[in-house]
Amino acid sequence: MATTKLGFIVQRPPYKSENPKLALTHAIASQSVEIYLKDGDLVTADVAFVGDGVLNCLKNQKAMDIYALSSTESHLKNCLLLDLNVYVCKEDLGKLGLSENDIVMDAEEFGADMKVNVVPFDEISKMMEGMNHLLFF
Amino acid sequence: MKLAVFVSDYRNTVETLERLKPEKLGIILVGNGVYHATVKEKGNASPLLEKSADFYALSEDLETRGLSSSHVNSKVKVVNYGDVVDLLFNNYEKTAWL
Repeated sequence: MATTKLGFIVQRPPYKSENPKLALTHAIASQSVEIYLKDGDLVTADVAFVGDGVLNCLKNQKAMDIYALSSTESHLKNCLLLDLNVYVCKEDLGKLGLSENDIVMDAEEFGADMKVNVVPFDEISKMMEGMNHLLFF
Repeated sequence: MKLAVFVSDYRNTVETLERLKPEKLGIILVGNGVYHATVKEKGNASPLLEKSADFYALSEDLETRGLSSSHVNSKVKVVNYGDVVDLLFNNYEKTAWL
């Protein structure tokens, strides 16, 4: 029995490239690998938004209306629905003049119990130390 | 030269713009460039907005990112795709994409 912990760190803003959204799709996909694992083995995924990456978390994104693209916001909510730990760097939010009121904090409409954790970078750093693999996007 | 510059990144474009000295400069913020119009980093507007230029931000790219006109700096005019086409045909001779 072993648990493999994956940490996805998003540091770029959304939409200019597919890169930040890939972090979320990979984190979501990591939860569907059970069929390839031995009984009792587990893969967990934590997602952290730092630097300009916190801009991925702005609410009311209209990518579907305008570009017929699923929004990064909806991917973030799917992460919460899958009970992934989602962290947003408090300092970086503040640096960009944003607050918890500006970003997605939950996905109640999706039926998710998890909430976004707005935390100091120190806490994200501790999370990163606890991971087996870190993936930067 | 009347130059319209599309800025589609939030980082690494300001220095390049410093070197451009057209007689008339229009800066059209598209893609992630729209963050220049909205984000107040450390309480300050983007240094890009200190340029002597006419500023425009594409409404579709603002809304895609969860931003509305109310977030936009007063120096920046919010325009749609049709407005951009009109700007390019009527106000500028050349375009550049940064």
